[in-house]
Amino acid sequence: MSEQKRPGGLTALAVINFIFSGWGFIGLLGLAAFFAFIGKIPTDDMNEAQKTQFEAFQNMGLPVFIFIFALSLISSVLLLLSGIGYLKLKKFLGRMIGNTYAVISIVSSVISGIMFPSEMGGGFNIGTIIGLIYPIITLILLNTTFKEDLTN
Amino acid sequence: MNLKRPTIGHIRLISLYWSRYAVRSGSGLVYLLIALIFGLSVAHILIMPVEQLMARQEREMGHTDPQAIRNTIIDIGQPVTQWILGQKSMKEIIQQSAARQRSVTSDSNDTAVGVEEQKKYADFDPWTSFLLEKRPALLSAIFLVLLFGMPFVISFLAYNQVSGDIQSYGLRYLLLRTERSNIYFGRFLGTVIFSTAVVAIIVVTITFYLGMKTRIYPALALAGWAAHGFLALAILMVPYIAVCSLISALVDSPFLSLVLAKVTIAGVLLGAIAGSFAWKPAKYFMYVLPWGWQSNLLHPEPAHWLGAVLACLVYTALFLMLGYYRFQTRDL
Repeated sequence: MSEQKRPGGLTALAVINFIFSGWGFIGLLGLAAFFAFIGKIPTDDMNEAQKTQFEAFQNMGLPVFIFIFALSLISSVLLLLSGIGYLKLKKFLGRMIGNTYAVISIVSSVISGIMFPSEMGGGFNIGTIIGLIYPIITLILLNTTFKEDLTN
Repeated sequence: MNLKRPTIGHIRLISLYWSRYAVRSGSGLVYLLIALIFGLSVAHILIMPVEQLMARQEREMGHTDPQAIRNTIIDIGQPVTQWILGQKSMKEIIQQSAARQRSVTSDSNDTAVGVEEQKKYADFDPWTSFLLEKRPALLSAIFLVLLFGMPFVISFLAYNQVSGDIQSYGLRYLLLRTERSNIYFGRFLGTVIFSTAVVAIIVVTITFYLGMKTRIYPALALAGWAAHGFLALAILMVPYIAVCSLISALVDSPFLSLVLAKVTIAGVLLGAIAGSFAWKPAKYFMYVLPWGWQSNLLHPEPAHWLGAVLACLVYTALFLMLGYYRFQTRDL
């Protein structure tokens, strides 16, 4: 039986997944450090907009922090796992996990837009659309272009 | 050069397959991501300050004043636009800014002089006035940046039209069924179709957002100018894709093709700018590619933008023919 050849696009998708996943984990570290030291950060040199933004993060509370942290952690892990799945052409690890990442990412963007104030990155702006580009492309490609490739 | 039986049916088939295959092969996917992120980030950077201004107005006055916002955009955008279009030098723009500062800070006796001085520098040329006053200024600014930036991005899509298959000898199997001319022009056309589709997605997203979210320009004006900007961007990509076709036919390594495409497209611009510091006429080197006149695609005079479109077609024909000659005569 001949070995199935992986399309270049799927390799590219996997590499992008690993990059975004890496950024996600670094972001998680930053988020944890920020929340741990938020009371010790001097605000004297900040301008009005920065102060408003900073206060919004200070007032967000532990449950919201845990929600953001958990969503980011889940997204990063799913990106990593689906990246491995794309490389191995796996149906579950690649297609299913990839689709799960895309759906969670799209839903969390919508929830963040509705729940959070604009100072915390909430609301709807072009930044929100930029954040949605990759999950939407992933969702489309996994269910059309690469549907027949992820079968192992 | 003998153009061996190019068949419309074959070219159509190859171009449609190639435009669909672009994402599957990886280059299209990378281009799609980079182009979307670049295009929307440019829009984000330019629209964000306007949204902040609107939020401040809402906070302070209880409502937004679209006219005041439009005037602020024109004030900020005017010197930058004049510089990008080559209407004024950086020195003149700095003098204009200084004159404005002086007119603001001078006492009543000097005000008349200050206003005169400011007027001398601040007069709008017809092109800047067209882009900022007669058309939605924010969309004009986005199009100007995209016209400058998109040629750098296009090589991610167009670098591997034939070089990969030359390297792997894969074309030999295709040549049993069709002519070299059909493959070469079909793949070029497929790349153009894909690039045009991506440009359309970017322009529609930005225009839709501006129309629905900011609401500072009438919908009809936005739609009309968006259509013009889309055509300008789509047409501008064609000669740059042809350059990549030529390079792809010259070398048999996709990576080398990508590097050469990047170096050529950026090198012509940088070479002309850097060279002009030492020797003024070196600035004409940028006319080797459309860099020198591509802004004319957004010119108010039909003679200018039609001339720019025609020049695009001439560049495209030249690069395509050179590439085809090499592809036709080389060992595959």
